[in-house]
Formats: sequence, structure tokens, C-alpha cells
Amino acid sequence: MDTLHTIGFYVSTAISVAGALSVAFLPDRRRRGVALGAVAIGVAGLYLSLSAGFAALVALACYGGCAVLLAGPAYRIVESVTGTIWRQLGAIAAAGLLIALAYAAYFGALHRATYFGGDFGSAALGRRLFAHDALATEAVAALVVVVLVGATAAWSAKDRGR
Amino acid sequence: MTAGLVAVLFVAAGLVATGAFVCAWRRDLTVALAGIPLMFAGAGTAFAGVSRFAAAPARGAQLLGQEVAVLLAVAALAAVVLGVGLAGREGRR
Repeated sequence: MDTLHTIGFYVSTAISVAGALSVAFLPDRRRRGVALGAVAIGVAGLYLSLSAGFAALVALACYGGCAVLLAGPAYRIVESVTGTIWRQLGAIAAAGLLIALAYAAYFGALHRATYFGGDFGSAALGRRLFAHDALATEAVAALVVVVLVGATAAWSAKDRGR
Repeated sequence: MTAGLVAVLFVAAGLVATGAFVCAWRRDLTVALAGIPLMFAGAGTAFAGVSRFAAAPARGAQLLGQEVAVLLAVAALAAVVLGVGLAGREGRR
């Protein structure tokens, strides 16, 4: 990477990791939403520094949308029935996952890696999404349709119950 | 100073592990839902990084990771929409 991309990469890394930790520990939903928005900006910056401009735009829109949804007025509290001991075990498992992934990432240095900086790439990526790998795109589109129908059904069922 | 594939994979590992921690640790399930985009963002970062650093540019295969990152972002948004919708039905203010 050149110096500009490297600076962008580390700044975006700091923003995204700090935002993720804030999502984990902040108690207020609006602040958590702002933190998730910071994650969206950081991840978009990461993609941009990796010469994935179109993916950066999509990530900014999608993860920003997640932040708006989780901080907006549609937010409701749903208490988990899982006990404290299981949540603690889950947290320990997440730490183990971090160690395992970091171990795997450390040995990623064995792979001979060369940086190929490129252009924005939206046309080439569109050709892959809609021609070469159209089945994956259609699967995600079907997932989105199912999700929208499910969310609409859930909200309308709640409105009927009022 | 430069950033390589290992640095990208470390960032991806941190995001995935933080998302898993949020999903496991938070008592409120709507808050735990915020761990899904974190994990998907980490996975997408790993895919985009590997496709950028470890692909032959002449074959066009470096776009596969970007493509997966785009699909993961859309899938994360869909999961959060469905979760917030279900929480709106079952939850309280």
C-alpha cells in the first residue's frame, strides 16, 4: 500500500474497532446507534483503502441503515431468558474465537501477498454480481424479500393486537 | 509503514470477535442483534482484503471478495430488519 492508503487503513481501523467496542459496552441505544454508524464509516473506509469503492458505498448504506434501525423509534426491549452463566460462557467463547482468528491471521503472513491497487470497479463488480454470480445475487434478493414480508407481517400482527 | 494482508485479517478478527461478544453478552436481544452487522463487517473485510492482496489482477478474480462483501452487507441489513420487526412485535418500549 502507498502512504495515503496506509493512513486511511489505520484511521478506519481505529474508528471501526472503537465503534464496535462502544456498541458492546454503551448502555444507551442512541449512543449505540451512533457507535454502529461509526463502525459503518470505518468499514467503508477500510473497503476504500482496499480499493473496493463500490463495496464501500454499499457497506456505508447497509451498516448505516442497521445503525438507524437500532437507534430509531422502532426499537423495543426483548429480554433474553438465557442465564448469566451461559452469557459469561459465550463471552469467554468470543475471546477464544478472537485468539483463534488472530492465530490464523498471524499465519496469513506465510501467504505471498502483493498489493494490486485498482479503480472504483463498479462496472466490473456489477458484471460479476448480475452475470457471473447471478445466482448468489438472486439468493440475497430472495432473502431481502422474505425479510421484508416477515417484518411487515410481524408489524401488522402487532397492530391488529392493539 | 505499510499495511498488509495480516493487518487486514487482524482487523477482521477483531470485528468478528467483538460481534460474537455482543451477541453472547448483552441481555437485551435487540442489542445483541447489533452484533450481526459487526460480524458480517469483519467477514466482509477479510474477503475484501484477501481479494485485494492475494489475487492475480489479470484474471479478474480479485473482485470475488468485494462481491461477497457487498452481499454480506445486504444480508446483515436484512437480518437486522427482520430482528427489529420481530422485536417490535414481541418486545416492550
